[in-house]
Amino acid sequence: MSEAEANDEVVFVASLPDLIDASEYDDHPDGRLVRLRLTVGADGVELLGDAFRPQELEALLRTLGGGPTEQMLCG
Amino acid sequence: MTGEPVWRPAVLATATGDGRVRCDLCPHACVLADGEIGECRVRRNSGGRLETATFTTTVAHLDAVERKPFFHVRPGSQVLTAAGPGCSFRCNYCVNHRLSQYGRPGGSSDFAGDPAQPSTLVSQAADAGAAIGLSYAEPSLAPELTLALAGLAAPRGVPVLWKTNGFLTAAAIDLVAPVLTAVNVDVKAATDAAHRRLTGAPLAPVLDAIERFRAAGVWVEVCTPLIPGVSDAPAEARAIAANLAAIDPAVPWHLVRFTPDFRMRRPDPTPPAVLARAAADGREAGLTFVYVERALGDQGRATYCPACGVVLVDRTLWASRENHLVDGRCPGCGLAIPGRWA
Ligand code: SF4
Repeated sequence: MSEAEANDEVVFVASLPDLIDASEYDDHPDGRLVRLRLTVGADGVELLGDAFRPQELEALLRTLGGGPTEQMLCG
Repeated sequence: MTGEPVWRPAVLATATGDGRVRCDLCPHACVLADGEIGECRVRRNSGGRLETATFTTTVAHLDAVERKPFFHVRPGSQVLTAAGPGCSFRCNYCVNHRLSQYGRPGGSSDFAGDPAQPSTLVSQAADAGAAIGLSYAEPSLAPELTLALAGLAAPRGVPVLWKTNGFLTAAAIDLVAPVLTAVNVDVKAATDAAHRRLTGAPLAPVLDAIERFRAAGVWVEVCTPLIPGVSDAPAEARAIAANLAAIDPAVPWHLVRFTPDFRMRRPDPTPPAVLARAAADGREAGLTFVYVERALGDQGRATYCPACGVVLVDRTLWASRENHLVDGRCPGCGLAIPGRWA
């Protein structure tokens, strides 16, 4: 699989931590807040993101990342 | 994951002559010629026989029952959620579009899923003390899997739950209701025109489904996403609440924040004030239990006794913190609170 293909891959996971609290909603009425957490471990770099607009976050993660994007499903 | 669906014989089929088959699962009532596939993209006519691609799991996730959301079903318990692809609706805002919109533009074109293994799923759920939930895409497209799971789950005391769009025929509801403990149904719009615009389907069958499930003894909760231009205006939210209150004021109503996603990326997320106003409108329309998952904090998620006002179930984000109910009754005044508490 090419790197570009790997970057497009989305894997559904049971849960991901939240980085945005509901108390912040009113400060960002247009939903443009994106928060990222970078963790460097023995296996490499992990990038966790949280945003009100999932597709903008996914695009950003694809640009920055080297592996599949994990996504939580709704409901 | 496989690249191609595994098709299996489907229930609720009527031969209409010339090798055509009518699918009786949802009110779209597709009449399919040999080789044709239905509006949902996951049921087809193959050689005069109706087949389904939904005996499938793409995921099996263990999660809190509060996330479905169910607030009046076994608070604090877990659900093993399974999902196959497909939906009978085509909502432009769907956050789960990769799964739900399989076969449609913008959805997945590669089949995401492997044949479901009911015995494995039921064992996994039983071992975890969890219920089994079908959710994420549209579970009503998978009555075959639901019945297979339920047949194994019932003897082990594992409840089966759906998070559904409620778009089913009466025959389909009668088939699955006896094996379902609870369903959470989305009511996404107040008027038929708005509902058709958003989902591609009429509204009335959804409201009929709520009544029919309830009449069959299935516990029903309702979700309404406050979608810009569809359900976020005061008049629309009030009308939805009034529709529900007319069915039963004790139906728990969950108000959900709109997330700009899929083909609806321009509008802003629902402001907390709009959610708060809709919650107040819901109570004014007569609904006893109105919830906002996240935007309004713990207060928006708690269950209060409608008679004496004490907190009955206190919830954190995505989980119950404390369940004060005693055998399904208020510990303060003894009022029986509707739900499936044990
Ligand atoms: S379940 Fe699918 S094939 Fe059957 S009637 Fe509905 S849309 Fe058509």
